[in-house]
Amino acid sequence: MSADRSRILDLLAGGKITAEEAERLLDALDARTSSAAEPAGPAFKGDPEPLIAALPKYLYVKVLAANGDNVDVKIPIVLVRSGLKLTSLIPPLAMDKINDTMSEHGMSVDFNNFKPEDIDELIGGLRDMEVNVDAQNGDTVRVYCA
Amino acid sequence: MNLPPLVLDLRVVSSQRRPVRLWLPLFLLWPLALVLGLVALLFTIVADAALLVLGRRYHHYTVLLVRSFETVGQTRGTVIRFSNEKTAVDMTVQ
Repeated sequence: MSADRSRILDLLAGGKITAEEAERLLDALDARTSSAAEPAGPAFKGDPEPLIAALPKYLYVKVLAANGDNVDVKIPIVLVRSGLKLTSLIPPLAMDKINDTMSEHGMSVDFNNFKPEDIDELIGGLRDMEVNVDAQNGDTVRVYCA
Repeated sequence: MNLPPLVLDLRVVSSQRRPVRLWLPLFLLWPLALVLGLVALLFTIVADAALLVLGRRYHHYTVLLVRSFETVGQTRGTVIRFSNEKTAVDMTVQ
């Protein structure tokens, strides 16, 4: 096993990157290896840190209300991932109450359906997500990762 | 390894009052959290063992406790800002 591959797996084992990110990095590494014989290969060489640094680290929620109220929230993606993983460990009785309360407030998300193995995929999807809402009354909402 | 949050920086600026800046050294709470966590850990281990012996499906209180601490530790870098015409609140977990 190459040192680069070993380093990526160490980062994955240490929880610093997700399985999806590790897959992307390994793919990039494979692409580099397969094209190594070609004289004009991709610029990716050696250290995977720049690639890791380029991955989004934060989830941003920005709300600009027409009445002047502005909300700006920046949440580390590792916190989102950790929080979602926590939901799979909440006792069933407590989870039922949470689901009921959320349903009463118009958010019918059933956290019982969150499987630990799906969470990395969900987080991976979040990274590519961008929500832009421009309401008629002038309110704007932006949710994105960067 | 990620360090748990060190400092909570809270700033409140209001047009009607003096600006307030609170710099809360969360790292001073770490020893207390460690002691409370260890005590809670003992209880959860006993509870999980009892639930396991009783054949209950849910016996993950210890993992829940550990993951909860892990989640609190991941709050570092969180920024919440709110502002309107009169007030601006800025909370940063560093």
